[in-house]
Amino acid sequence: MGPKSILKNSIPVSSSSPSAKPVNERHLEVALYHANLIKEQRDVEEQILKATLTLLDFPSAPGANPARPSIADALQFRTLIIPFQPSDYDSLIEERNIADLCGYALCPKPPKRAPLAGKLQFVDTKDGVQIVNKKELEVWCSEECARRALYVKVQLNEEPAWMRRGGIGDKIDILVENTEDHRIVLPLRPKHKESDANKDDGETNQDQEDEQEAWALREEAMAELAQERGDRNAKSTKKGLIKATIEERMTVKTPVAPSTEVQHGGAAHMAIEGHIPKADMPKKSVDGQDEDEEDNDWDD
Amino acid sequence: MDSDRRESPALIRLWRIYKTTKEMCADRGYEMIDEDLEISLAEFKSRFSKESDGEPDRSRMHFSAKPSTLMLAKYTDPPTPKNPDPQPQTGSLWIEFTPDENVGLKQLRDFMQHLVTGNYWSGILICPKPITGMALRLLRGSGGLDEGPPGGVEVFVEQDLLVNITKHELVPKHVLLSKEEKNQLLARYRLKETQLPRIQVTDPVARYLGLRRGQVVKIIRRSETAGRYASYRWAI
Ligand SMILES: [Zn+2]
Repeated sequence: MGPKSILKNSIPVSSSSPSAKPVNERHLEVALYHANLIKEQRDVEEQILKATLTLLDFPSAPGANPARPSIADALQFRTLIIPFQPSDYDSLIEERNIADLCGYALCPKPPKRAPLAGKLQFVDTKDGVQIVNKKELEVWCSEECARRALYVKVQLNEEPAWMRRGGIGDKIDILVENTEDHRIVLPLRPKHKESDANKDDGETNQDQEDEQEAWALREEAMAELAQERGDRNAKSTKKGLIKATIEERMTVKTPVAPSTEVQHGGAAHMAIEGHIPKADMPKKSVDGQDEDEEDNDWDD
Repeated sequence: MDSDRRESPALIRLWRIYKTTKEMCADRGYEMIDEDLEISLAEFKSRFSKESDGEPDRSRMHFSAKPSTLMLAKYTDPPTPKNPDPQPQTGSLWIEFTPDENVGLKQLRDFMQHLVTGNYWSGILICPKPITGMALRLLRGSGGLDEGPPGGVEVFVEQDLLVNITKHELVPKHVLLSKEEKNQLLARYRLKETQLPRIQVTDPVARYLGLRRGQVVKIIRRSETAGRYASYRWAI
């Protein structure tokens, strides 16, 4: 047998049933399959490493407000984070902390400093004084950022990116206050309103019209973009990329005596792999519905 | 009175680590001054301890080293018609002892940057604790990354250098072969390198010698019955 190209060789055989293939060829296919998998894994790992390096220098402006990130930063963050598994995300947070930055990638502030020097810290909570590991205290600049960051974490795919099937439609939402800015991202048209003025939630007809127009423009832009990238599945990805990615953020109040609901949300940053240790917390029997919702949100 | 006081354990520990590091450089073939290899605890203390509390000051312990002519020769491939004047695949080395307990991507990147701007061939970073997973990932890929120095970066945890493993009587002597010596060996036994037994580059002795994939080491053992005998390992 003269040397033959692997590729040419496999084409005629693939039309027949698998059992008819010579053993060698099946071995070759298995080997190729695994080799490809390893290569994909390496590529994804490198991709995540590069993304982490980029997000280590985030946000782009030193004075950025994590509640109102710039459009470019937000978009890049949400794109870069897609291949991350939750553990990769933890690594990102760790790296940012080591670089003396808040764990939330869109926040330029340093993390909170623990008041004591020791490894264990005493924290005054509503349920009495608790002992917390110093490292846990020095992750975020604020409760708000903890929530923003974990809101992203729970959306991350547990499956390694190289194993994900039909990864299209992957999208990561972030919590922002300047929702309008981020919704009208792709249509390249001047914004008639500055972001600062849209804290009021009232949506007028004018707004709705504008929005529809914007969406139409966006649709076009997406189609063009998809064509440029040679994206054959453009139709199915269209919806997933931007539109559903914004979560309306309710107005933030300064933390006053929290209701039971807020308390649940507030404890979320204490979660370890989705489980919130409740050592000293009094068990409150809230209505079962609430409990279920909690489970769906944070445990996976 | 001051000299009667017992030195801090941290200082003694770091003195040992420093000595092992110097020995490691000497064993790899870098030029080392004998006084450095035999530095006394008192000398170490006067050079590297903080005046305030006598604790070691890691940020002062860094040094650089140049390869000896012998080392340069060992790292130079034999000339071929294609490459009649091969350059040595080694160069000056920069060694730093970071005081940072948490070394991540940022510190590693800064270290690489320092090596590049200082025109070092390679660098060794010695950390109090293991570096982060992401930093390890950067380290593994650093050969291909345009960021680092040509010879790459090695990271040791202080603990690894507390004792010099190669001085242990049960560890046989490992000697790196040059490319030419390797070729002669393979020709003499009509072997392909893949037929040699292997040594992982992550093996402690391999790490100590800074072995790279594809290199061959000669391992010299003593045996009561056979005297000295040599075996060879191919680094993978
Ligand atoms: Zn923050």
